Amino acid sequence: MADASTKRVPEDQPDDSSANGTGSLEELRHLILAPEQQALERLHHRVANPEARTEDVSSVVAEAIQLRRKQGGSDALSEALAPTIETAVRESVRKDPATLADALFPVMGPAIRRSILETLRSFLDSFNQIMDQSLSVQGLKWRLEALRTGRTFTEVVLLHSLVFRVEQVFLIHKKTGLSLGHAVAPSVAMQDPSLVSGMLSAIQDFVRDSFNSAPGEGIERLNVGDLDVWVEAGPYAILACVIRGIAPRALRDTMAEVLENIHREYSAQLDRFTGDTAPVSAVNKELSGCLEYKYKEGPKRKSHSYVWAAAGLLLLLVGGFFGWRWWQYHRWNNLVDTLREQPGLVITSFGREHGRFSIRGLRDPLAPDPRQFVENAGLDPVKAEFHWGAYYALDDAILQQRANQLLAPPQGVTLNVQDGILQLAGQPSAAWLKDLRARALLVPGLRSVNFGRFSPEQRAFDQTKSEVQSVIIKFPVATAALSSAERSDLRSLVPKLTSLQNSSSALNQNLHLEVVGHSDATGAEGTNQSLSQRRAERVAWELIQLGIPDSALHAKGVASAEPVRSEDTEENRQFNRSVTFVVNASPAPQP
Amino acid sequence: MIQKKICMLGSFAVGKTSLVRRFVESIYSETYLTTVGVKIDKKVVRHNDSDISLLLWDLYGEDEFQKMRWTYMRGAHGYLLVADGTRRNTLEKAFQLGQRVREEVGEIPFIFVINKADLIQDWELDPAMESQLTARNWTILRSSAKTGENVDEAFSQLTRKMLP
Repeated sequence: MADASTKRVPEDQPDDSSANGTGSLEELRHLILAPEQQALERLHHRVANPEARTEDVSSVVAEAIQLRRKQGGSDALSEALAPTIETAVRESVRKDPATLADALFPVMGPAIRRSILETLRSFLDSFNQIMDQSLSVQGLKWRLEALRTGRTFTEVVLLHSLVFRVEQVFLIHKKTGLSLGHAVAPSVAMQDPSLVSGMLSAIQDFVRDSFNSAPGEGIERLNVGDLDVWVEAGPYAILACVIRGIAPRALRDTMAEVLENIHREYSAQLDRFTGDTAPVSAVNKELSGCLEYKYKEGPKRKSHSYVWAAAGLLLLLVGGFFGWRWWQYHRWNNLVDTLREQPGLVITSFGREHGRFSIRGLRDPLAPDPRQFVENAGLDPVKAEFHWGAYYALDDAILQQRANQLLAPPQGVTLNVQDGILQLAGQPSAAWLKDLRARALLVPGLRSVNFGRFSPEQRAFDQTKSEVQSVIIKFPVATAALSSAERSDLRSLVPKLTSLQNSSSALNQNLHLEVVGHSDATGAEGTNQSLSQRRAERVAWELIQLGIPDSALHAKGVASAEPVRSEDTEENRQFNRSVTFVVNASPAPQP
Repeated sequence: MIQKKICMLGSFAVGKTSLVRRFVESIYSETYLTTVGVKIDKKVVRHNDSDISLLLWDLYGEDEFQKMRWTYMRGAHGYLLVADGTRRNTLEKAFQLGQRVREEVGEIPFIFVINKADLIQDWELDPAMESQLTARNWTILRSSAKTGENVDEAFSQLTRKMLP
């Protein structure tokens, strides 16, 4: 190709007749090679021109990166791009930090949250364990030990409750003593892993040198107090585990396995290692596999039972206390309900005050003693505190008591109160009944007195009634004619009847006067019947004449059926030839 | 993270430990030097916009009582060869040590540091020695652990040599 380009013939070269043979050859060559030459020209132009090259690369760069990733060479690609990307990011932040901050914002939140969550979780795990230990007798012993030895309580708990724990894992490059990777258990205080790696490797060398060991030999185990350092060496790297407690033999196998895995995966990188850990950065994940631990099981379970027992007892005590309080409160509530039912007591409020049960309300002086109810309910009267205001109750029961107290009824007289009205029963003396109405109305709460048959009107009515019923109008034998004396008796009867009439209407009663005609037992029964009827009618007629209303009178003859006196003498027989009166009062129909 | 193992070499009491102390914060006590024969410290430096961890292996200086442990040199990426300007024999010793390193671990980057530049009036550098140094074509720095002169510079130059 280079030959063709250097020997190319310019198209504008003039034809020379003296070199005609050569010229024909040139022409032939031109004819044959010209298209290829032109193509080469174009290619050369493209290769020499950076702009064109850029254009070419730009059209395939994305595909090229994708292809490389598919081929599995992404590590080298990342390595190649990393510095540029780092610089670009740094430059971007320098120019305007907001751009990158905005782009990272959706990622930062979840990442920070996750990190905080992880930290909290690991904190809570150890906190829970320490709480468990703290509540047990064992825990108290350990706390004393922590005080005595000056260690922190967490340290003492770990010492006692751990069988073993791998606290740190170092992967050290054998040749340089540089740190290749490091893993650490949560909440372990640690020194700079690169320094520790260096020093561990130096000590290895020191021991090997000092005791003229063979090249493959070295320290396998270091023991310092509670700490054990187990060392496992491979061709390129050394694995060292810092262990607290007594680790099982199986941990050695784990270490060997991890070291083998690392050598298998990274042997080339480890061989070429010159201090750059980026190609082996993934080993830390492998190293975490060595962070084993085991807790003692015995004391933990025991401490749990203590915790449960203590919690149960506490719950029982608290439950018992509140249960007892509720029961007491319930009993006091029942007492209040009972008191509410008592006449003369009004409960306005109740509740606990200064450890005592306080009840406030109004109390009639005649109401039952509330303290008696406290004792009956089986409650301690000392715990009860009453605050009563005085008042007059209007309950019938209290009114009845009050009336008895103030009216002092004589022996044989009973007082009842219904709906605020005083009712009398028994045989009250006229002297006591005198002015009773006025005295009764001085009893607070009494609305009125129902005297019933003890009212003055009733007594006057009864008096007149018995007077009227004792009147006997006598007739001569076998006649219904009235003598002048008898007529005069009838006239004197009229005021009494008028008085009865007035009394009954005052008592709201209708008055009926039965005029009963009698005959003696001598003579024929039929004659006697007619004679007694006529005698009654005669007297009724006479009374009507004297102004007694017809409607109030009823005349009837009973012949000798209802004799006034037994006819053992003529004088007594005289009484049976007569007319007598029966007074009846019936309740007047309500208007 | 890139790490490099650097050794400090030189006769007893030339100021290697003082140079390191000037340069880093340390976690190990200096008694390690006399017991194990080495003390390791770390310093993170920036180079080409990335962090480089320098693991400094401060080796016990060779004297009549104790030999230097050459196994500590294994895998080193570079070293500081330190001499005391006020003691001519430490420079000669440094030449020997340099030769020994080449034999033990091959050609690796190093800086030759002539320490105690603060006492330059007491230096025992005669023209013969100076011409010998020039002939070797080494990178030579005059430093002072006391004033800090060229301490950072020595480590930076070594870092640049190890990471081209």
